[in-house]
Amino acid sequence: MEIDPTQLTEQVRGLLAEALHVPHEAVTDGLAFGDLPEWDSMGHMEVMVLLEERYGVEISADTIANLTSVEGILAYLKENGHA
Amino acid sequence: MPDTMEILPSLPIPAHLVGEVQSKLAYVDEAVARGDVSPAGDQITLYLRHPLESELRDSLQEKVQRVVTSMVKGAFRPKVLVLEDFLDRPAGGYTADPHEELLRRGELSQEANGVYVLGPLLTRLIAWFEARFMELADSFGAAPYRFPTLIPAKYMERVDYFSAFPHSLSFATHLRTDLDAIDRFAQEAACNHQGELEAPSDSFAPFRTLLSPAVCYHLYFSLADRPLPGGQVVATAVGNCFRHEAINLVSLERMWNFTMREVIFVGPKEFVLDNRETARQRMAKVFEEIGLAYRVESANDPFFIGEFRKQVAFQSAFQLKYEIRARLPFKEATLAVGSYNYHQDFFGRKLNITLPDGSPAHTGCVAFGLERMAYAFLAQFGLDPHYWPETVQNSIA
Repeated sequence: MEIDPTQLTEQVRGLLAEALHVPHEAVTDGLAFGDLPEWDSMGHMEVMVLLEERYGVEISADTIANLTSVEGILAYLKENGHA
Repeated sequence: MPDTMEILPSLPIPAHLVGEVQSKLAYVDEAVARGDVSPAGDQITLYLRHPLESELRDSLQEKVQRVVTSMVKGAFRPKVLVLEDFLDRPAGGYTADPHEELLRRGELSQEANGVYVLGPLLTRLIAWFEARFMELADSFGAAPYRFPTLIPAKYMERVDYFSAFPHSLSFATHLRTDLDAIDRFAQEAACNHQGELEAPSDSFAPFRTLLSPAVCYHLYFSLADRPLPGGQVVATAVGNCFRHEAINLVSLERMWNFTMREVIFVGPKEFVLDNRETARQRMAKVFEEIGLAYRVESANDPFFIGEFRKQVAFQSAFQLKYEIRARLPFKEATLAVGSYNYHQDFFGRKLNITLPDGSPAHTGCVAFGLERMAYAFLAQFGLDPHYWPETVQNSIA
């Protein structure tokens, strides 16, 4: 299902806030793995689990290693038909 | 009288997790003497020390299913990368398990479960490997360190050790500083027939220290909360390490108290990764010189069930750990004798170790289990030095 890009950005920011247990405003557009103490290895895997649940993103070595920023996640979702 | 329990796992255990699940069965219950998972992953057999009443059997079954669910549900299949494969080297042609022969010759004696005294042959062999590891350390200009055996609980908490590896922790304490408690202990303390120390329950001080499970943590703790001196550090140390692995403790393959030599890198990401790779290439030459049969492949740390699935997936995706797995011909299996590790900036962040630009330092280490190294060598070349590679033979003679 295609989503408006602005809406998708907000959804992804919300997903990250939920997975990392941080306030929504802490998730800036430029945020990346390691920028917040909460976005550590365990936090990253929580992000991956939610991405799988919400968008059907397969958890693989490639997705875990590459989807490490808000920008990267958005680009991946757009490439895979979510916007 | 021993008893067994057959359990059908609530989820089929995939082949790559059979060994991992089996190793965690050791921690399910003290009544379990051994736990096996069938190669197909569809059957678990528990060998019990004594028969259990039905209520306890139900509880045991529930715990086993909890292990299976935690480790298998949603498990991600790790990507196995093989960097070196010399498992088919002929090595020494020895095919027996050296353990029994070492015991028979008095080269090895067991003090407790997983605790061994090593005799002169093993000690000299370990010294030979130690000299090679020190050459590796020197090739990086590594600064020598001596680290204590005790490690503060508050630091281990700070690096999330309690949630990642609670199952293998070993604790250290002392008597309370109280004359009455010391007197009572002196009068009443005695070991029962199982070797358990029985003493008044209020004898002991709270746990503030543990027995160190690894070497490199001490360096990171000593660098905590300040800028990294010179922006990069290479250090080396050997130390006693303690990991209690319950019924998995067997021979020199898996000891409670063992020694590790580490070469440790702290600095920018590229510095750590480049040195880890250089160390691997330099060690390949050492292993080639002695004709060791081994493989270097991606691996994961033995996380406990709560974090296992996610941490293993993360380690695999970022290729954070490679193990040197030496062949054990007597059982057609391999044994991890060392590892090449990269922790990203985990310790830099957790311990506030900063680079000159203010960013957290990256860390990595190469680690060698000295007893395992010697054990794998003996498993391939035997106990008679005449059949050893000349270079080892000459140094030890």
